[in-house]
Amino acid sequence: MTEPPTFEELQRELEEIVVRLERGDVPVDEAIGLFRRGEELYKACVARLESTELRIEELEAPPDSVR
Amino acid sequence: MPKVEHLTYGDRKVFTVSSFNRGIGLYLGRLPAVWIEGEVTELRRNAAWANVFLTLRDPNTGATLNVTIARRVYDRLELALEEGETVHVAGRAELYEQKGELGLRATTIERIGLGAHLLALEELKRKLATEGLFAPERKRLLPRLPRAVGILTGADAAARGDLVATVGARFPATTVVVCETRVQGKGAATAIVSALHALSEHPAVDVIVLARGGGSFEDLLPFSDEAVVRAVASARVPVVSAVGHEQDTPLCDLAADARAATPTAAAALVVPDLRELEAALASTHHRLGGAVRSLLERDRNGLERHGERLRAAPRLLLERRRAALDRTGARLQALSPLATLERGYAIVRSGAVTLRDTSSVRAGDSLEIQLAKGGLGAVVEEVRR
Repeated sequence: MTEPPTFEELQRELEEIVVRLERGDVPVDEAIGLFRRGEELYKACVARLESTELRIEELEAPPDSVR
Repeated sequence: MPKVEHLTYGDRKVFTVSSFNRGIGLYLGRLPAVWIEGEVTELRRNAAWANVFLTLRDPNTGATLNVTIARRVYDRLELALEEGETVHVAGRAELYEQKGELGLRATTIERIGLGAHLLALEELKRKLATEGLFAPERKRLLPRLPRAVGILTGADAAARGDLVATVGARFPATTVVVCETRVQGKGAATAIVSALHALSEHPAVDVIVLARGGGSFEDLLPFSDEAVVRAVASARVPVVSAVGHEQDTPLCDLAADARAATPTAAAALVVPDLRELEAALASTHHRLGGAVRSLLERDRNGLERHGERLRAAPRLLLERRRAALDRTGARLQALSPLATLERGYAIVRSGAVTLRDTSSVRAGDSLEIQLAKGGLGAVVEEVRR
């Protein structure tokens, strides 16, 4: 996949990791790896929400084709 | 009726302009009365004139037709016509002889009723529905986090202002791309279609909102225009229709992927609430930490339990051995003759011999009797065999 993952994709993966860990049938070594990945995903999600001011762009209306 | 006369030059028949015009006029006068539909473009009315003059225009081709109607008749209709309105005119072709101009002598004028519009609209709705343009399975999901929200709006400051303000308040981490265009009156449909395309082509726009405040039935008609409805249905990105008020259902509402009653509601549909989103993320993050901590804790508890059992093992072994030993001791005890004596039996010995019968015993012999506690020295008085 060339496109960077969307926020939804990041959030879904994070949720899946949490559910797996909560189920508790993960070996400890793997759990730590999953936890690290979860932290990364969380940070990536938060970065996406970093809010600056709302940007407003005016799109020039195309010339009316007057008939 | 004056006759149409001609002059004769040799064998050539020649008409005067007047007689030619009169002839054509008479010819036209035989044509049947008809209804004609067009837009009123020039309305000339004067209390001093016997007639009212107006020009009818074909909105599709620009063709025009002069219409004359008796002022008396016109006034009785009480139409209060305005330029740009579409009307039906009944009348006959007529030639203005003085100028040789074709016109229409009108007998009555009707404003096209909503009935005609509604009928046409119903017809179009049925046709597009048959094509599946309004089918629920065509509806696309709105993106949860649009990179940019396209807004198509008229010069209507209120609708635009509400939308931009609500988007900004809920989710400032996005961009709003506003395309202002004509949304009512002549040429609005074409303008809306081009604006839709322009927004659709914008590389960051992930969803488009059609924002148009309330208006009369006619004002909203462009949003039921076939070209507009098709453009909405085929837009590259999902479209939210926020056109008119709750009770209005322009056809673009049916073709859009979602419908909102107000611009504010539309904004709530196209962008999430940043605070809710952050709260949800924080809660997931909290669960992540909690889950891994409890996993590790459980692991440590397991280890501790193992350690305890390891430390307890020798003691347990010892205890088990002792218990076994105790049981053996008890059995040993049970077998001891002393236990039998406890129950009231006695052991009788004659010297070193323990007696089981009387064969070796004679009267006068001395015997040793052992009881559980103590013993007796006895002398045999009688032997019974």
